[in-house]
Amino acid sequence: MSIILKGVMQSTVTPFKADFSPDLATFERLLEFHVRTGATAISWPHHKAESLNLTLAERKAFAEVAVKVVAGRIPVSIHVSALAVEDSMELARHAQKIGADAIIAITPYFWNPSPDAIYDYFVRLGTAVELPLIAYNSPSYLSGIEFTGDLTRRLIERLPNLIAMKEASFNSEKFLEISRVALALRPTFSMIAGVEFLAPSVPLGCVGSYSSAGAICPNLCTQLYDACVAGESVRARELQFKLAQLWNLFRDQYPSSLKGGMVIMGRPVGPTRPPLPTASKERQAYIATQLEELGIIESEPHGW
Amino acid sequence: MPIFTPGLVHTPVTPFTAGLEIDFGLFEKLLEFHLRNGAQALALPMHTGESVSLSDAEQRELIAYTIKQVKGRVPVIAHVSDSGTAIAADRARQAQDAGAAAVVATTPYYWTPPPAMVLEHFAQIGSAVSIPFFIFYTPEELGATKLDTDLVLKLINRLGNFAGVVDASLDWQFMINIVSNAWRVRPDFQLVSGTEYMVSAGAVGATSMFSSLAGVAPGLVRQLYDICRKEKYFEARKVQEELAALRQSVKRAGFAGLKGAMRAMGRDCGQPRPPLDALSAGGYKELAAELGALTALREEPRGW
Repeated sequence: MSIILKGVMQSTVTPFKADFSPDLATFERLLEFHVRTGATAISWPHHKAESLNLTLAERKAFAEVAVKVVAGRIPVSIHVSALAVEDSMELARHAQKIGADAIIAITPYFWNPSPDAIYDYFVRLGTAVELPLIAYNSPSYLSGIEFTGDLTRRLIERLPNLIAMKEASFNSEKFLEISRVALALRPTFSMIAGVEFLAPSVPLGCVGSYSSAGAICPNLCTQLYDACVAGESVRARELQFKLAQLWNLFRDQYPSSLKGGMVIMGRPVGPTRPPLPTASKERQAYIATQLEELGIIESEPHGW
Repeated sequence: MPIFTPGLVHTPVTPFTAGLEIDFGLFEKLLEFHLRNGAQALALPMHTGESVSLSDAEQRELIAYTIKQVKGRVPVIAHVSDSGTAIAADRARQAQDAGAAAVVATTPYYWTPPPAMVLEHFAQIGSAVSIPFFIFYTPEELGATKLDTDLVLKLINRLGNFAGVVDASLDWQFMINIVSNAWRVRPDFQLVSGTEYMVSAGAVGATSMFSSLAGVAPGLVRQLYDICRKEKYFEARKVQEELAALRQSVKRAGFAGLKGAMRAMGRDCGQPRPPLDALSAGGYKELAAELGALTALREEPRGW
């Protein structure tokens, strides 16, 4: 059951038709695009893929396509977090049934659960399937609800299949609090950065990232990862600054602007479902000027 | 304005007598300890030096005393933060007259002024002096008032002596945004790591570091700083993790933990002033036992 997670992993967006219905054909092309441009793993549907705006049936349908299209070329993980814990359980069992390589889950939404409640939730999830489990820490989006070093330790001791964490606090202290505990207990544990914050994290043992901008600029993402791993700090800093500018551009109403940028790059994936806005023509034009200025348009692949 | 890179900046605690008066005799010993053990500059009284619990007169006296005692062996940076803009500006002016090499100030205490007034606050403090002026950004301690790129760029435009930001947010995107934008208009703008989390800060451009743990483990602190200045971040990981462990133990004991840790190393500087809780006998015992178990501290100096 072991899989290797490292490098620039892509968490695919969810394409919709103009009427907001699922566009599975475009999803297939997008998966192919990521595999072809160097993705080391696929993970779907992160929040970037509008996970919480999809019905359970839609999530299952897309997940099946992801596993089928990637067809074992790289690992596919399925993000199972849903508002209701029961739905998360169902998505986890489904992921196992369709042959996904791993599941990933964030701390439960809305209720501000206690550390013990988070522990119970992950134990239930991790023991319901035989798949590797990736924990997802994102305190700034969940009113400070987060993994601590202690909670991580308890979960690693309890769950042999807890193999990695997507650590998206983007904070040195939090990263080290978790990584020190996790790697001491389980040296094969993978610390994965959210977005492309690789320069500050790779020297601390981070093995890769779930990319934010990978559908726009896969080359830049890979160059940054390579520079970080090679210890080329000056070059890594330069590339990290560029990706940080892109994150500033895309983080607002994420993934609305990202989907807007994909139009510019010749890879349209349709609108963003409400309550998130869809990038307007004006917003797209602004994104185009930014991509131009950053040299993305000339240095990155256009079209599928 | 010539480039001023503070380097490794020790931030001493303020020793108190049993009657909670500043113990200048002990302070003299403490300053000499820092100077002998790797300080390239001193900044005081920072929050770890209980600045907010010192009267205006005491802060002025402490700064003047330090400058006299140090006799130019290293630059002394005066921390001048206050709620009122004029009070802070006046303290800055006095620090310059006393011979401070630079001044540093946070967003104002208690008030949450609109961005234009936060800018005004910093502009008035900075323009009260001709020596370099730094902002100390510590959102965890100061809550609602945020610093952003726009404010930093406006301040660069207004203040020739605005030299940099001392970051205690530990937030990767914040640091990258500030320094990458500031460097475009002021190439010698300094990002200073406000704590010992230097690996990530250095990787995104920090060249100096403030350290309160230098009073506890100056050898480790210096080692971390020196490796990071060579941009050998992978090599710095081990000592970074050791200092993260130390910081975690000290933090767990509450604010009094820093003085407790210094006592455990044979450098008793008394208890903190109210309203901070003193470290209980049990709390001290626990902290001392934790520090005793940290093998990384074995080579560190004991006593004065």
